[in-house]
Amino acid sequence: MRRIDESISVLVNQNTEPIGFSWRGQSYVVRQRPTRWFARKEWWVESARVQRGIGAGSLEVEMWRVLAMPVSALDIASSEDSNLQTLTQFQLIHSNDNHTWRLERIFD
Amino acid sequence: MTSQFSHLHVASAYSGHYGVTRPELLAEAAKAMGFEHLAITDRDGLYGAVKHIGACLQLGLKPIVGVDLEVTDEQFAPRGRAVVLAHGRNQGLGWATLCKLVTMAHSGMSAAGDRRTRKSGLKSCPSLTLVQLAETLNASPHCTVLVGADSDFARAAEAGNKNLASSLLGQWVSSLALPGIFGVEIVNHLTEPGKRGSTTLASRLVQLADSVGAATVITNAVRYLTPDDAITADVLDSARFLEPLGAFEPQPNAQAWLKPTDLMAELAIEITGDSSRARALLQTTRKLADVCTLDPPSDCGWGRPKTPEKSALGIEGNPFELLSQKMQDGLEWRYGDANAKRQLEAKHRASKELITIGELGFSTYFLTVADVAQMIRDMKVRSQARGSGAGSLINYLLGISSVDPIENDLLFERFLSTERSTLPDIDIDVESARRHEIYRAIFKRYGSNRVTLLSMQSTYRGRGAVRDSGMALGFEEEQIDDIAKNVWRFSARSFRSALGAKPELAKIAEAIEQDRRMNLLVDITERLDRLPRYISMHPCGVILGDANLLNLTPTEPSGMGLAMSQFDKDDMDPMGFLKLDVLGVRMQSTMAYAVREIERIHNKKLDLEAIDLADAETFKAINTTNTLGIFQIESPGQRELTGKHQPTKFNDLTIQISLFRPGPMKGNMIAPYLDGRHGFAKAKYLHPDLEPILRETFGVVIFHEHVLRIFNKMTGCTLARADEMRRSLENPRLKPQIEEFFRTASLARGYSTTVVEAVWATIESFSSFGFCKAHGAAFAMPTYQSAWLKTHYPTEFMAGIFTHDPGMYPRRLLLAEARRLGVKILPLDVNRSTHEFVVEKIERVTTLPDETNIGVRMAFDQFYGMSEAEVKRIVKQQPFSDLLDFYERARPSRRSFELLAEVGALDSLAVGNVHTRGDIVARVKQINAAKKRATDTDLQNMLDFAMLDQLPVGNPEPTQAEKVQAELRTLKMDVTAHQMEQYREMLDDLGVVNASDLVGLRSKSSVLVAGVRVATQTPPMRSGKRVVFVTLDDGTGCSDSTFFDEAQSRCSHILFNTRLLVIAGKTRRTGVNGVSLMAENAWDVRELYASWVQARKNAPVEKLNQMTASPSPSMQPEFSAF
Repeated sequence: MRRIDESISVLVNQNTEPIGFSWRGQSYVVRQRPTRWFARKEWWVESARVQRGIGAGSLEVEMWRVLAMPVSALDIASSEDSNLQTLTQFQLIHSNDNHTWRLERIFD
Repeated sequence: MTSQFSHLHVASAYSGHYGVTRPELLAEAAKAMGFEHLAITDRDGLYGAVKHIGACLQLGLKPIVGVDLEVTDEQFAPRGRAVVLAHGRNQGLGWATLCKLVTMAHSGMSAAGDRRTRKSGLKSCPSLTLVQLAETLNASPHCTVLVGADSDFARAAEAGNKNLASSLLGQWVSSLALPGIFGVEIVNHLTEPGKRGSTTLASRLVQLADSVGAATVITNAVRYLTPDDAITADVLDSARFLEPLGAFEPQPNAQAWLKPTDLMAELAIEITGDSSRARALLQTTRKLADVCTLDPPSDCGWGRPKTPEKSALGIEGNPFELLSQKMQDGLEWRYGDANAKRQLEAKHRASKELITIGELGFSTYFLTVADVAQMIRDMKVRSQARGSGAGSLINYLLGISSVDPIENDLLFERFLSTERSTLPDIDIDVESARRHEIYRAIFKRYGSNRVTLLSMQSTYRGRGAVRDSGMALGFEEEQIDDIAKNVWRFSARSFRSALGAKPELAKIAEAIEQDRRMNLLVDITERLDRLPRYISMHPCGVILGDANLLNLTPTEPSGMGLAMSQFDKDDMDPMGFLKLDVLGVRMQSTMAYAVREIERIHNKKLDLEAIDLADAETFKAINTTNTLGIFQIESPGQRELTGKHQPTKFNDLTIQISLFRPGPMKGNMIAPYLDGRHGFAKAKYLHPDLEPILRETFGVVIFHEHVLRIFNKMTGCTLARADEMRRSLENPRLKPQIEEFFRTASLARGYSTTVVEAVWATIESFSSFGFCKAHGAAFAMPTYQSAWLKTHYPTEFMAGIFTHDPGMYPRRLLLAEARRLGVKILPLDVNRSTHEFVVEKIERVTTLPDETNIGVRMAFDQFYGMSEAEVKRIVKQQPFSDLLDFYERARPSRRSFELLAEVGALDSLAVGNVHTRGDIVARVKQINAAKKRATDTDLQNMLDFAMLDQLPVGNPEPTQAEKVQAELRTLKMDVTAHQMEQYREMLDDLGVVNASDLVGLRSKSSVLVAGVRVATQTPPMRSGKRVVFVTLDDGTGCSDSTFFDEAQSRCSHILFNTRLLVIAGKTRRTGVNGVSLMAENAWDVRELYASWVQARKNAPVEKLNQMTASPSPSMQPEFSAF
């Protein structure tokens, strides 16, 4: 597992699920339904204000686990029987405040 | 269209330090989201259940009630948190089972809020063992247990131990094997995959449940309404764990909110990955919701008044007939000697009241209250009905109240009418010192299955909110103290807006700009405001029910050990519970003590209920305005009003007590009433018809009863209907209807438009100001009784005052009052003093009349620095022959021994007149200096002591000033003499006037007064300007001075903090016996004394002139004026 924490650009579908992203000049395609989950933040360390009605954004952050592979490797693995061995799990952070994405870590 | 989701696991704000949202808000939101059902499952109890049911009924939601409880194994190791839901529509079987389980979970616990739980094998939090749970539900399968995310089998599943998970779940399933009483709760809080609350773990639990054939139910384990509230939940977690944020593992995210149907359906699909399994999951959930839907009237006895059974009251036959019989007896008792007209009046009214009571079906209720009142009287405890109940003749006839409602013109309709069907409140004031004794007696008399104490929920207010917020953010203790000190003046909810508006918060406002954490503190303090904080025993409420009571309310142990309902006072009416307020009142203890002392000393019976209510001497004494110690009329404001008002009969006291309330004061009712009374202005009646109603108050509308009668007279409506309208006046939505009715009806009865307009204007402005006369009259009774005792038995009464400390003033002021009354103060004496202020007969040394031969012996109570155990030893070992004897048998600590010597408590142990108190103190120091206390076995030491057993001689007697100083330090009282006495020479020199002589001076005289500050008040003024009232006691009485702006600025440095003051000002006459001082300046007596001593030393002859020339600059100009 590697911590990356770099800003990336992400392609999403209608349900706002990530289906592809590019990182360090390389394009990746998501090959399985991604898993969304929510992590938390320590607002008492990070936030300036937490008044009533501010929303959960200062407490909660949306995370995505995706199994993806570089587009360049697509030719080798056909979409149907893509061997899970060739896929890598990435964890992305989606910030709801400004709709930015970061690649948080890679499970390899 | 799929059907609506049903939330079955919802914690409200009544889950202390856990839930965030009030039940009413949750229900409103559920309704808005289109839900059909809503459950409340508070942690550890049904604290919010009644409010939840009430809100659901109002909104048309189907109410479900359960509890969220810790379940353990037999060794109290946690097995998981379970939601237990009551099944509904089974004549209360489910509700009763739920109540029983909750009560069981709390038994074996120490009282709520008690943190000393670890010792003595008590459970540290409410819990049930799986065996207890199973046994109860196997016997009564009317609840469903849901266990899931927070359970032993879920933890095993999380750890990947499938076999263990399966076998643990198997134990739950086999324990709760009857159909429909167990299900696995599936929760998906979208946490990190694989962790508790994650989609993956939820799917694993579904598979696990399916594999053992257990039912599955999906919930969202809700603890707040919206994601935003999750921040508040973090802070509550911190308060629950007593650790700052960051020091414990916080909730994983903000998903535990009341999600709408579509999101819950999505979660079900995410978990199962299969739409038909998801549908089944949602359907099971819904089915359970249907099973658990309560029918509040048949399940919880909703709205149906409940009273003890006849057998419990020891009565037979028809309660109405019995009440009727008791009424007849009461008429004979109370009015047997009255004239025929009064007898007829009483009989007529009693019958009318009886009919209303009969129609409402409240006969048993009145018999119950009468039974309790009788029991209290039999216990020889003083009692007095308070509030609108005093307006009922039946209450008077049954001995519940001791105020005659006919004599005092009180109305039954203000108390009870057929227009309302809730049980009326009857409040009984009793001796505070014996309150718990009464509670125990009530439990004993009706059985602990019919009685519980009432609870109350404390909520977060300013300071508490700041404290817990500060703790959550990790602020230092002192820092929190500093901020908390300043937040009592406003609601925590408006903390931020107060910062800008209040000058005293400027420092905090500034700090916030520089400190991010301070900003957060303000935000989370506002979030905590008004949330329930902890449950405790209500100060006076007792619930009295029938043998079914404990099937209707869960209970937990109270601080005093007796069972306490988890419901609060607002839950009583909806649940139909009879609540009796038995409130401890110290004045009742005071009077009971005085009566006992009178009986003991004079060997004669005294019945305070039978004293003459028109005793001229008593009113004469009240009218001197020396009312310290008298119930309700001892405050500076009431004393001033007494001076102006000069009450001469009982009804005057009722009026005066009712006038001195924020409402009448704000409504400016006092001045017109006094003008009318003293003939300064002719009483104005808006219409001749109103004259009989308002004659007693010279045309001023003061009482609720006045409004009722006006409505009744002018519109022709019944008094009962009139009271309904009076109540509606406070509701802005209903007021226009009342106004419409009043106008139409009174115009139709021939009153002119002018009159109708004028009367309506009066009623309208009155609505928020008035006072219930019955309440005022009920208060006036102890006022009069205490005044009577003070007038006729000052020594015994003051002994009661010292012992029970009922009022607003420090004990030393009341001691000064006693001295002023000529009561003999007997000093503290280890051979005679006890923990109470006892009246003693003094051996005759003169031939004074009998009554002056008694005095009050000072007590060890509140002896600063001496423990209760030490006092007990002294009292137990009395008498003592000498110092050493005292030292050995009473075994005082070294410090107490010395303090006792200094205040003269050992004086009586020095034989003869040779020795001074100085000698005694010296001897005590000698004994204390020996390293070890002598014991019987320690012969050598004994001998050493014996050799020392000789009082030294030649030490000087302390001066009076020194003695007084020692007394103030240790007893907080100046026993030997008034503490101003030590400055007597200077005060005489300055020409200071005694407080008691002020009344003889003409208005606008320039005077100096001096004394000990006993009260400082800064009441809000209409003008918005601050006015400061200072009351001083100089031993002859109290003087009241008013400081306006200019005077305030002249002596701002001593205005609030200096204890001993000299005040210069002009007298202002406020009434026959009313004088106050318009202050011009003030000085600290001690500073003044220092300069005076100095001045006298320098030039004894011209001391005063010297003084006026030399004191501090601020006082110079004013001083030369004298």
